[in-house]
Amino acid sequence: MVFSSILFLFFFLPAFMLLYFAVPFRFKNFVLLVFSLFFYAWGEPIYILLMVFSSIVDYCNGLLIEKFRYRKGLKHVFLIVSIIVNLSMLGFFKYADFAVKSVNTIFHMNFNLPGIALPIGISFFTFQTMSYSIDVYRNEVKPEHNFLTFMTYVCMFPQLIAGPIVRYSTVSEELHKRDINIKNFCKGMMIFLEGLFKKVLIANSMGLLWDTVNASNDMAVMSAWVAAIAYTFQIYFDFSGYSDMAKGIGRMIGFTYPDNFNYPLIADSITDFWRRWHMTLSIWFRDYLYIPLGGNRVSRVKHIRNLLIVWALTGLWHGAALNFILWGLFYGVILIIEKFLIGKYIEKMPKILRHIYSLFIIVFGFTIFVFDDISRFASFIKIQFFASGHSLVNAEFFNILINFGFMFIMAAVFATPVSKKVKKLLAGLRSSSAKMTAAILSTAVYTVLFLICVAYLVNDSYNPFLYFRF
Amino acid sequence: MEKKNIQPQKDTAGQPYEFMIPPVIVCIVLALSVYFLVSGSREFSDNENRNLTQFEKPTKENIFDKTFMDNTSTYLCDQFPFRDGFINIKTQFEKLTFHNEINGIYLADDGFYIEPFEEPKNSERIIKILNKFPKSLKKAKPVLMLVPNACYVYSEKLPSHAVSFDQSEVIDMYYDKISMDHIDVRDILRSHNSEDNLYYKLDHHWTTHGAYLAYTQYCKEKGLTATKEEDYDIKCVTKDFRGTVFSKVNDLFAEPDSIDLYYYKDQDLNVEYNLKKTKSDSLYALEYLDKKDKYSIFLNNLNSIVTIENKKADTDKELVVIKDSYANSLVPFLVSHYSRIYVFDTRYYKLPVSRFINSHENVEDVLILYNLNTMDSDLGIKTIY
Repeated sequence: MVFSSILFLFFFLPAFMLLYFAVPFRFKNFVLLVFSLFFYAWGEPIYILLMVFSSIVDYCNGLLIEKFRYRKGLKHVFLIVSIIVNLSMLGFFKYADFAVKSVNTIFHMNFNLPGIALPIGISFFTFQTMSYSIDVYRNEVKPEHNFLTFMTYVCMFPQLIAGPIVRYSTVSEELHKRDINIKNFCKGMMIFLEGLFKKVLIANSMGLLWDTVNASNDMAVMSAWVAAIAYTFQIYFDFSGYSDMAKGIGRMIGFTYPDNFNYPLIADSITDFWRRWHMTLSIWFRDYLYIPLGGNRVSRVKHIRNLLIVWALTGLWHGAALNFILWGLFYGVILIIEKFLIGKYIEKMPKILRHIYSLFIIVFGFTIFVFDDISRFASFIKIQFFASGHSLVNAEFFNILINFGFMFIMAAVFATPVSKKVKKLLAGLRSSSAKMTAAILSTAVYTVLFLICVAYLVNDSYNPFLYFRF
Repeated sequence: MEKKNIQPQKDTAGQPYEFMIPPVIVCIVLALSVYFLVSGSREFSDNENRNLTQFEKPTKENIFDKTFMDNTSTYLCDQFPFRDGFINIKTQFEKLTFHNEINGIYLADDGFYIEPFEEPKNSERIIKILNKFPKSLKKAKPVLMLVPNACYVYSEKLPSHAVSFDQSEVIDMYYDKISMDHIDVRDILRSHNSEDNLYYKLDHHWTTHGAYLAYTQYCKEKGLTATKEEDYDIKCVTKDFRGTVFSKVNDLFAEPDSIDLYYYKDQDLNVEYNLKKTKSDSLYALEYLDKKDKYSIFLNNLNSIVTIENKKADTDKELVVIKDSYANSLVPFLVSHYSRIYVFDTRYYKLPVSRFINSHENVEDVLILYNLNTMDSDLGIKTIY
């Protein structure tokens, strides 16, 4: 089930909320768990067993690590069991096909592909359960003794299938005691609505732009550039919209989820970009891989090695294909260059140049990201850089500009914190008539946008969730 | 020193000005979902011309292969309250945000909604089939009429950067490669394209007037005397026709079309649909005026074979028409010139038409009439010989 669907918005969510608010606190986790299992089973009626299995394994590991906390050897064993189980689950279900394909290509073999369908959200829940076992091992968090509570954490539907990656330590307190009130409900709903608008109105429109250009036989140079930027917008608004919706639902029911995006497209360097993009994943890799490898407190060669390992794996996490690894390594290399060579100079550049430089790298990065076929990637890049003799503009380009220009500008505007500033301004209004006007106008705008979203969902011509592949 | 008395902020929804939004949205959601639950489900959507998805009970099989989930999702979208209204909201939103193309249809000048043409893929295959056809006939002479669509005839009305494949190029290629005569209606239609009534604004067909122009061209090439337009009794039977193109765009503010019927006094008709299954004395099935698909009044929608007998025809020659729905508004003009016309729709008539023609001595003329949009997709044509 996806958030931006009629089923979720008009049936699942209202039914869940009614029941959740109706029952006394001690049953709330149970209601959340049951609805979460239904939510997941809707998309994966079979693989749901995998998620339950993962919950059981890490629940037991947590308890065992606690039990043998004074016996270093055993404690170690259970940690390794957790990591092996989770990684092999992820490895088998996500990467088996890719691995066999690679072996076939490299060694000219002809093994049959296992043909395993990727279980939704496996990359997210395995990373969450792993973080739990590691945190318990490191004594950073107390293990959960109540299995249902633990399972509620693993299966919680808001962030289950597309993040953010919520570590157990972040929500452990709230699993037992949290503020469930109208204020949080309303605040959460605002966050949810904004995420829904991002996804349905902006991301889908930019996706359509990208698809239109990409399906064209005669792509103008400018079309290729506009399309690459549109794809960047699509990914950003799709993913951050989904994270916002998750955060919003979490807030509605009393959970505080971490931020996952902080206006990444206004970054002024690539180092800055990765502090703003998919933050929960970057932090995960930093805490559980980069720092254990030695981080930057080692020799320069090892430091570079660590960066490359982390970035290759970050890329691979996004998808089981070569282009994702290349995308990760591309960022690894850029970050190394920024760190050791040009960082000082970038800081001295005028602000506008820093933004142009960053955006160029980001957009180019997503062109690596999007093509799983190297030859199509190459021909696209060739068009962009005038290497295949395509014209600068053509009728199709102008047609795209007319049809998508408005939404493209909206995407650019909402990629910056402008709306945040406007909201601050409105919240600071003093006179009561101004306050009332702001209230009426904002209500009208949100209502109309919501109805337009519903219209698009009813129309349902175009509603793919990009982040399902992860 | 006075202490400022700071009142705790009364905020119900984060920012003070937002307080009305959550209750309004909650009401909308609940109202729509309750309305959905209490209202029954619709069987058929006239606007989309298809059966709407119905709820299916879950079973072990359809849950595990996920068809239950897919079906339920489509069911909810199909049966959602005010579905057409919502789709209209989407269209108005896109119009407001400067779209000139909605669901693949161009918003053209003068209230026209025009479907662009895509490069055909099956031309060679169809030409091959067509070229076998004349050889399979003993005596009758076939002639091909390819009718261009609004995107060609009204190309000036399309938005300035619209992308549509050149229909003229395709017609040239056909006429160049087929081994039978052809009747070219491009010039006559183009020369009248300052008139806004050659094609419907909200349907993919040509109008009766457009068909009349093609009829005069047919007569010219066949040596017949075309009836003058003023000799017909032209009746406007509806001013409320929203056709197939409307269904795709769903713009409730678009101006509907009117349909004209050209009645000719001196006729005595006997019309048989599907070999005597239904009979009539008219070429028009007026009962379709109450329905969404009003174009079907011409020759009573789609039939595998229609036989039209005119006792007051000029000659006792007979004509076979192999055609798509464009011909339905042209055939009424031809009845004055042939004592019998057999109209075949190869999508439904599955026997070789050539066999039929060869067994009917009086059939001298065969007209193959297609519009360019169906020419490429109607592979039923392979049964003509």
